[in-house]
Amino acid sequence: MSRLRYAAGRLLQSIPVVLGVITITFLLTDAIPGDPVSIMLGPSPSAQQAAAIRAKFGLDQPLHVRYVNYLIDVIRLDFGQSLYYGVPVTQKILERLPVTLLLLVSSFTFALVTAVPLGVISAKRRNKPTDHVSRIVALFGVSTPSFWIGLMLIILFAYKIRLFPATDLVMPWAHPSAVDGASTQLEVVLTALHHLVLPTITLGTLQMAAFTRIERSSMLEVLGQEYVKLARAYGVSEGKILRKHAFRNAQLPLITIVGLQLTQALGGAVLTETVFSINGMGRLIITAINNQDYLLVMGTTLMFGVVFVVGVIVTDLSYAYVDPRVSYDDTD
Amino acid sequence: MSNTDQDGARMNRRRVLQGLGAAGALSIAGCTGNGGNSEGSDGSGGSGGANQLKMALVKSPLEFDPVVLNDVPSDQVAQNIFEALYSYDESTGIVPNIATGEPEVSREGKRYVVEMTDKATFQNGDPVTAEDVKYSFEAPVKEETENASEVNMVDSITAVDETTVQFDLKYPYGAFDTALAGRDIVPKSVRENDKKAFNTKKPVGSGPFEFVEWQEGNFVRIKRYEDYWGDPKPKIDGIEFVPVEESTTRVTTLRNGENDVIEEIPPKQYSTVRNMGDASIDEVPGVGYFYLAFNCKEGPTTDPKVREAVDYCVDMDQAVKNYVEPTGVRQYSPLPKAVAEDWGMPLDQWKQIPHKRDTEQAKQLFDEAGVDSNYNWKIIVPPDDKREQIGVSVSNGLKEAGFNNVSVQRLDWGAFLDKYVSGKESDYNMYTLGWSGSPDPDAFTYYMFGRDENTLGVTNGTYYGDNSENGKRVHELFMQARQSTDREERKQLYVEGITTALEDRAHLPAYNLKNSFGVKNYVKDFASHPVDSFHIASDHNNVSLEK
Repeated sequence: MSRLRYAAGRLLQSIPVVLGVITITFLLTDAIPGDPVSIMLGPSPSAQQAAAIRAKFGLDQPLHVRYVNYLIDVIRLDFGQSLYYGVPVTQKILERLPVTLLLLVSSFTFALVTAVPLGVISAKRRNKPTDHVSRIVALFGVSTPSFWIGLMLIILFAYKIRLFPATDLVMPWAHPSAVDGASTQLEVVLTALHHLVLPTITLGTLQMAAFTRIERSSMLEVLGQEYVKLARAYGVSEGKILRKHAFRNAQLPLITIVGLQLTQALGGAVLTETVFSINGMGRLIITAINNQDYLLVMGTTLMFGVVFVVGVIVTDLSYAYVDPRVSYDDTD
Repeated sequence: MSNTDQDGARMNRRRVLQGLGAAGALSIAGCTGNGGNSEGSDGSGGSGGANQLKMALVKSPLEFDPVVLNDVPSDQVAQNIFEALYSYDESTGIVPNIATGEPEVSREGKRYVVEMTDKATFQNGDPVTAEDVKYSFEAPVKEETENASEVNMVDSITAVDETTVQFDLKYPYGAFDTALAGRDIVPKSVRENDKKAFNTKKPVGSGPFEFVEWQEGNFVRIKRYEDYWGDPKPKIDGIEFVPVEESTTRVTTLRNGENDVIEEIPPKQYSTVRNMGDASIDEVPGVGYFYLAFNCKEGPTTDPKVREAVDYCVDMDQAVKNYVEPTGVRQYSPLPKAVAEDWGMPLDQWKQIPHKRDTEQAKQLFDEAGVDSNYNWKIIVPPDDKREQIGVSVSNGLKEAGFNNVSVQRLDWGAFLDKYVSGKESDYNMYTLGWSGSPDPDAFTYYMFGRDENTLGVTNGTYYGDNSENGKRVHELFMQARQSTDREERKQLYVEGITTALEDRAHLPAYNLKNSFGVKNYVKDFASHPVDSFHIASDHNNVSLEK
């Protein structure tokens, strides 16, 4: 029960955060120079036409009225109508969010699956060639912008070798009739995986690098602890020490960083989606900003905020699974 | 003149000012002609297939209903589904489509009567009637859509009989034939039944392709309409349009065969596409105009001497060569080459007007005009590299002429569009911008130099004429020209007006962009087009795949 209570508490605490996101985004969006209606209608709209559009989208109201109206609408889960697309913002978000979530899940999976072994091996073979290679890979990953990695991967694997496609990401849950060359759901999934390889590596490299470094230093710290030395003194094998005693304890810092990396990953998704023509939240937010579609900007920013808050809460809750000493009781 | 009169030449910002390579696809692809054969279709409308063309556009369409659509990608797709009364030939010539011949013009250019064929049918089998034409022209104004200004010179429309439609205009409008070519005909009964579905789920037109499926941001699929009334019938079974914004990715998809045709080749990728071996570039200059404009309302640039001095500071030929070619061409007047040639304009004479770069001459003129060497020059440019580079070239020239305080401000579209029409010296001395429209001189003169309520401070940020009689005269000439239906008279008026504006240097014309496409060699007969961006099946081409 304590964990549930803790989760509920954290969710309540996140309300002011979300409110803050809404307020700041609302004010910033309003402060951007330029007029969304003139972007919509072109350079020579009639006054009547412009007024009609303003009234339709409530842009003729004063700032505070629009703000309060927006808050009320958000509570009702109504994010308004997109100026650019002419459809409800919620509809656009529901269309695009699963795509970005798929990309995030696949890139984090890639990052963890590669980073954890790399970090462990690196720590185990400290200052050996394997460690150097692992550190160089991590340094490369941390210091290389994802759009550059994306373009290089496209040039190498799509342009030169033609091993993976550069665009046309299909969703694994798409109907086979909508996917070129697929007749069963399994083929759709395989096509999706084939298309996901390059975007996943692009977005996941930065995460992978950060996780590798954390995993390595965390493992090194644990391996230097007294109880590990004691185990060694008892003659426990190195492999067993790693697997049974050190590994699990070394994962807490990694879990923390996984949650925090979500912000970076969301930012990286904007670039990755642009490079690979993936129709996710990242491209949606760019379109919204370029067209001063303020309701869409707020809707997407808010959704990014919510994804991050939820990610951090999930991270906190997962501590207890890794470390039984962590308790969510109020007395702690 | 009505205060809401704007014609089909008016392009919205998404279309024009943001400088999409595909200049305004204002009208419908010509789909008349002869020849061509029809092959069986699988009718599935699914993606892929040996006889399906896959084409990468820069951006995703947003909607397909011609009554409301107002952006280039939507037009690029819709032009295959819908048709207008008239269409463009392989260049900017206007030829009958649903109409059977040229319109009969009377009442000093205020009445146009168009006879239509009785063969044309929509994709639901209904005939295309005069009532549908009337509805298609009236709906944008009635519904106050974003493209309403393209047809609001029309006062009333009468369906004389099933196949005769009569347009009465509010004033004589010389470029009305471009409005007739730019307005697609929609079936009144279908659209009225469910406008939303008509726009995004089941648009029905009379064109050679019918709509299949659209996933915003992912793809649009259209397939050949087997009972198309006109000729030629498309040779390909269908087209899948996909948006690929990133240019390197777009070129990659051409190389690895993900797409058969890609739109807009960036300058640095021209050689990549040419060296592919199995693809080539199909390009044609669009109907556009990119320029540097002066603030003639406030500040030193109100003096024509100063504007001439700025002309001496910059080598526009070189700037265009460095930063625009091969994606564009040098242009010496507001009129795109195709339009100027079509009208027999004195291009050689206009080409002589800009000065060669001469910093000493510039300094002398600045001195004569009394411009202080500490003056803070402000050049504003939109978020576009080419136009920024034109601004930077001018700024470098001014610095060489002894001015240390020269700024080039690259602004976001929202901020730029607010500023460039203010006429304030504190906002700008010069700006770079682009314009595109229907292939008529009116589109490139009235909106650029007009001094009425629809243009001054709206599309014309120069305020040319605030401090000179020449500017006012130029405005009058262009107004006369747009209200005349005598082509020769219009030509003379345009020649005088444009020559005056060029000699007075209200603008320094810079360049025009090409509509460029990377095309796989197995795609036969693809045709880029100056107005419509591209044609798939028309009286001069019919795309086929020979894989």
